[in-house]
Amino acid sequence: MPTETVKGERKMSKIIAVHSYKGGTGKTLLAVNLAVTFAKHGKKVCLFDLDFRAPSLFSILKVENPGCWLNDYLNGNCAIDKVLVDLSSRIEGNGKFFAAIANPSTEAIREMSAKDRKWEMRALGKLLSLRSTLLNDKEFDYLVFDTSPGLQYSSINAIVTADFVVVATTGDRSDVDGTRRMLRELYKLFEKKTGLVINKVLDPTSKSKKDEMDARVKNIYQVPMLGLVPCFCEILRAEGNLIFTQDKPNHPFTNILDEMARKIDRDEVN
Amino acid sequence: MSKKPLHVLEKIRENLERLNQKMEVMIELQKHGRQDFQPLADAPLDVMTLLSMPDHLRKTAMTICRCGRATAEEVSQQTNRARAVESAYLNQLVIMGYLKKERKGRKAYFYADRDSQG
Repeated sequence: MPTETVKGERKMSKIIAVHSYKGGTGKTLLAVNLAVTFAKHGKKVCLFDLDFRAPSLFSILKVENPGCWLNDYLNGNCAIDKVLVDLSSRIEGNGKFFAAIANPSTEAIREMSAKDRKWEMRALGKLLSLRSTLLNDKEFDYLVFDTSPGLQYSSINAIVTADFVVVATTGDRSDVDGTRRMLRELYKLFEKKTGLVINKVLDPTSKSKKDEMDARVKNIYQVPMLGLVPCFCEILRAEGNLIFTQDKPNHPFTNILDEMARKIDRDEVN
Repeated sequence: MSKKPLHVLEKIRENLERLNQKMEVMIELQKHGRQDFQPLADAPLDVMTLLSMPDHLRKTAMTICRCGRATAEEVSQQTNRARAVESAYLNQLVIMGYLKKERKGRKAYFYADRDSQG
C-alpha cells in the first residue's frame, strides 16, 4: 500500500518480522520498540504477537482482555479488525499504534502447539491476507511481527509473509552459528531481505569491538547490518515495565531504534 | 463463418493447449530426472513443504501463495520467467497435489486449496 511522503513520493508499506535463532536475544524488546518508534514517527502501525508458545505482548502492553485474540483470527473464528487493540492514546504524536495480542492461557498455548500442517497452511493464508485487509484497505504503514525463535511453524509463516526480516542475534557462540545457518538455509531460500541487529554488545564504542562486529557481519553473516545495540543495564533494571522508546525519549537505546526505523523506512538497509 | 466451425476451431485450440501443457510437464520431468515427483500423501502446501522444494518450484509456489490464485501469465510477470516455463512448473505442482487448477473460458487458474483440506 503506498503512502504519501513529505516530498509527495509514493512509498510502499511493509510487513516486518523480528526473528532470531535462539530465545533471549531481545526480539520482543526490538519488535515492541521498533513498532512504537514507527508510530512516534507518525506511521499507522500494528504489532503482532506471533510467539504463541510464550506470548508476552499482553503483559508488556498491559492488555488483559482484548475482544478477540490473534489465535481466534488464525482459527477462523473472527475478523482481524476484532483482534486489533487501539493503543494510540499511549503514544505521543499523530501516529497510530495497534496491537494484536496472543492468548497467554496454558490451554491456548497447548492448543496452538498441537496444530497440524493443514492448519498451519491456512494460518499462512490468513497472514498473507493481512496485506490486503490491513495494508491496502485499512491503510496501515507497517505490520510488525514478533515471532518465536528458531524454525517453528508460526515463525516461518511470519517470515514467508514479511517483506523484511529483522534478525536479532548476540555474541553467544551457539547463537552465532545458528544464525549463520538460518540466514543461509531459511531466509535465502525464501529470498527475504534481512537486516541484522547484534544485541547486548559489551563495550560497543571501543574501536576493537566495532572492528570485531564489522568483521563478523562481513565474514560470517554476509547480510546488511541494521544496528548494534549495547548491553544496557537500565533495560535489565526496568524488568519489562518500560517501553524505552516511549518512556525514555532521550535514552541512547531510543536513539538507536530511531535510526533503525529511519533506515527501514528509507529502504537504506543494503 | 457460422457458429459450428468456430466452435470446432475453439475445441481444437483448447486441445492443442492441453497437449502443449502436457508436453511442457514431460519436458520438465525429463529435465529433473523425476526427482521432484514424489508427492507426500495429501501433503498441504505449507512452509515446510515450501522449504523442501527445489528452488525453481519454490519460486512458483511462493508466488501462488502470495497471489492466492493466478494464471501462468500472472505468475511469470512476478517471477520474470517465461510463461511456458511457469506453466510447466504450475502443472508439476498440480500433479504433485500441492495446487489445484481450474479453467475459466480460455484461462487456467492455479491456486492452493486451503479450505477443502482437513
